[in-house]
Amino acid sequence: MKAQKILAWTAIAIGALYFLVPLIGTFEFSMRMRRDAYSFDAYHSVFSDMQFRATFGFSMLMALFTIVFGMLLVVPTAYWVRLRLPQARPVVEFITLLPLVIPAIVIVFGYLRLYNSSSWLPFTGSVAGTNMLLVLSYITLSLPYMYRAVDTAMRAIDVRTLTEAAESLGAKWPTILFRCIFPNVMSGVLSGAFITFAIVMGEFTMAALLNRPAFGPYLQLVGANKAYEPSALAIIAFAITWLSMGLLQLVSRFSKLAPART
Amino acid sequence: MSFLVLDHINKSFGVTQVVKDFDMSVEKGEFISFLGPSGCGKTTVLRMIAGFEMPSGGRISINGKDQNNLKTSQRNIGMVFQAYALFPNMNVFDNVAFGLKVAGKPKAEIEARVKEMLALIRLDHLSDRYPYQLSGGQQQRVALARALAPKPQVLLLDEPLSALDAKIRVSLREEIRQIQRQLGITTVFVTHDQEEALSISDRIVVMNAGRADQIGTPSEIYNRPATRFVASFVGTLNMIEATVADPAADTVKIGGELVGLRQSLAGRKSGDKLSLALRPEAGSIAANAKGDTALAGEVVSSHFLGSVIRTKIDIGGNQVSFDMFNSPDAIIPAPGEKVTLRFAAGDLLVVED
Repeated sequence: MKAQKILAWTAIAIGALYFLVPLIGTFEFSMRMRRDAYSFDAYHSVFSDMQFRATFGFSMLMALFTIVFGMLLVVPTAYWVRLRLPQARPVVEFITLLPLVIPAIVIVFGYLRLYNSSSWLPFTGSVAGTNMLLVLSYITLSLPYMYRAVDTAMRAIDVRTLTEAAESLGAKWPTILFRCIFPNVMSGVLSGAFITFAIVMGEFTMAALLNRPAFGPYLQLVGANKAYEPSALAIIAFAITWLSMGLLQLVSRFSKLAPART
Repeated sequence: MSFLVLDHINKSFGVTQVVKDFDMSVEKGEFISFLGPSGCGKTTVLRMIAGFEMPSGGRISINGKDQNNLKTSQRNIGMVFQAYALFPNMNVFDNVAFGLKVAGKPKAEIEARVKEMLALIRLDHLSDRYPYQLSGGQQQRVALARALAPKPQVLLLDEPLSALDAKIRVSLREEIRQIQRQLGITTVFVTHDQEEALSISDRIVVMNAGRADQIGTPSEIYNRPATRFVASFVGTLNMIEATVADPAADTVKIGGELVGLRQSLAGRKSGDKLSLALRPEAGSIAANAKGDTALAGEVVSSHFLGSVIRTKIDIGGNQVSFDMFNSPDAIIPAPGEKVTLRFAAGDLLVVED
């Protein structure tokens, strides 16, 4: 028993070292901008860079649009599939999993082929159109996570009976969806939102090939041209991801605090 | 004209017909129970009244108005589900107020009606609790208040007590019946529990394989089952196979013994097979037992069940169970013992297959 415990802790220690040593190394390196002393100069340099602010703000905005429009697509779809088209569930699940299988570069080339400025729907013909296409491509990328998060939350509530209860009380579809279903899958919606946020903030391929000033391409640009700032940016990117994951955990823990009493 | 009318209702899912030519009329303020085993179509009929399912044929009307083309939200019905179906994001007050808010009632009216409903179910002190903070029984009472708040024309209860423990089930069913009487609301109650149906209904519809086998008062259903299915499903009737001896004299033969019936055997021929039902509480093997009919038999088994002693007797190849009340000096019959079972001829009922 004791030997097993030691083995378990050794495995955890090796795992922690594997993940933490590079991170600590990166952090340590990011602090060495000033000669002979540790400092946050690299972070100061990053935060005072106008391009950082612009790309970070742009990606935040794109993430926000991705979350809002993604949820407007995913929640009614997952709801409808669960309620009226359960036989279509495997097909929908397969479709939502495709972005994990098809590389982002293939997806974006497909978009460029379909929606270039001389196509029937010239998204890339204007800045607003390209931004819209970027949001749509982010929605595609985050679909596997968003759909699963929402679908899992819907599994936890009895969607069919809640819908029927609301209908019997005179409610129509918009009321049912926004007052009875949406608030009850909020934990799933927020989980999906945080993971989408993390994906969008670090995404490079789509933004670079659509030539949009997003945070991903900025990370790459700084990485290619500066010494200490890329390490600082890597730590900042990690912090954003961890913050999202932490919030995700917090939301799912809060939703677990409310089990039905029998 | 009756308040709720189901006129030749049929329902098929694909090639499977689950409700067959279902006819029923419910008077205003009546409490009707649909009783039957799982898969007999009772919930499907209820769901058709609610508008969740559309009949494949036939007509449903409430208060003279055809309901077939109306959506659930337009029917003004109240429904209580087995799984409570309270909105988890709303507290008790908001759950009960939901239907009134949807109907666009003024705030003051909503508040007054919700308070009235919560007082009715005696949960006015829990109005700010969320469903997860309530017990199953409390949740179902809130669901009842929520269904009643918008003053529906018909209250539909889909096995509302099935998820509760035995003690709460009994108290809540009495409460439901009391509230129903108080409000005088027409109610359709679906259950597979015969005791539940017998104890609270004005009339019971016993359903079997998509059809209404018998519609009658609890007493009629229990004491005068029309079919073999009703006899076997309601209570624990003994089925005895007999042969018509003399149709003119209403006599049958049970294991070689001649027995006279109170029911007419007109239309049957001598030698016809028929099924007879006998309630377990109708017979006795005591020496001083009353009854104008006696059948000789042999004890197969005896079980002491506390308040009653259940004895199984073989009578002409039919195994018949009967119950006698326990008393300190009661003698439990031993297996193999020869006994005489006495009962009133009127207790033997002819049932159709």
